Amino acid sequence: MFRIFHTSCLALVAVAGLAAQPAFAETPDEILAAIHKEAAGTPGFQGFSAARGESFFKTKHGYEWSCSSCHTENPAAQGKHAKTGQVVEPIAPSANAERFTNPKKVEKWFKRNCNDVLGRACTPQEKGDTLAYLFTVKK
Amino acid sequence: MSQRILVWDVPTRVFHWLLVLSFVGAFLTAETERYRDIHVLLGYTLLGLIAFRLLWGFFGTRYAQFRSFLFKPGEIIAYLLSLAKGKPAHYVGHNPVGSVAIWLLLILGISSGVSGVMVFQDIGGDALEELHEFVSNGMLAVVLIHIAGVVVSSLMHRENLVRSMITGFKSAKPDQGIRRSYAWLGVIMLAVVVAFWAGYPSIGAATPGADATQAGQHDSD
Repeated sequence: MFRIFHTSCLALVAVAGLAAQPAFAETPDEILAAIHKEAAGTPGFQGFSAARGESFFKTKHGYEWSCSSCHTENPAAQGKHAKTGQVVEPIAPSANAERFTNPKKVEKWFKRNCNDVLGRACTPQEKGDTLAYLFTVKK
Repeated sequence: MSQRILVWDVPTRVFHWLLVLSFVGAFLTAETERYRDIHVLLGYTLLGLIAFRLLWGFFGTRYAQFRSFLFKPGEIIAYLLSLAKGKPAHYVGHNPVGSVAIWLLLILGISSGVSGVMVFQDIGGDALEELHEFVSNGMLAVVLIHIAGVVVSSLMHRENLVRSMITGFKSAKPDQGIRRSYAWLGVIMLAVVVAFWAGYPSIGAATPGADATQAGQHDSD
């Protein structure tokens, strides 16, 4: 059993290593620009607002959690998973250079977390406002 | 000449249905953080069940043993051909094609569980997270194929395979049955799983980094 477990672990690490693709690494600004492009197509779009993003980030939207429930009121600080208590690394790029460098990951986690916080997907406006806010947070 | 005989011992049946419960539950709790603890709990349960099954594959009763459903490629092809002719050969235990699904489910179950634990423990990063999703979706696909196979096989052989996995009985020659059901072991399995579920919330070690800042590295947003 132990041998099987170890072999599986090794195999998984090997596959994970091969699957790691630095190719789609982007900068936070590029990711925000892509969301901007998406939002610009919606009627009445007047740009993103960091202030609106901050209030969106810190308030609840009819459900148990806000973004800050796990990421805390300070996005540059280490967060804590509201359910498991696990450490959540800072979400602001100023405090964590890995954040918002992988579009696929950003998309995935917006989908999951917006569903938990709002019970629906976030609009491009909401995503852009949130990123505008997070990008202004200093360490 | 055909009579009601015991084919699946109790531990094999308890394993099967607890695995169903763990897999379905883990799948349903995968897309939200709200049930992350339940998802993890069921993942550990799935791994524990498969660990037991690997042992039972060597020490279990006749049809639970790996050697009873370790078929050669030729036998698998022959079975597929007999299936295509509409006259599939009858096997008391797993048939050759069904056994392929069982092996895949064991392999994918281990991969899904191990990768899940590693993601939860912050080993492997984003790539492993994707691998965890990939093998779990693969497992769902095999589960669906397995269910389709059970339906088709039940219809073609006019035997209710789902009921067999509940009662343990099938209709076959008297000498093909197993003698012991090992009910006591099934009861122990159930008790261990229920105790694990009941005790899990108090196991601090189960949530790495929960009470320590030095655990660092977590970025499950």
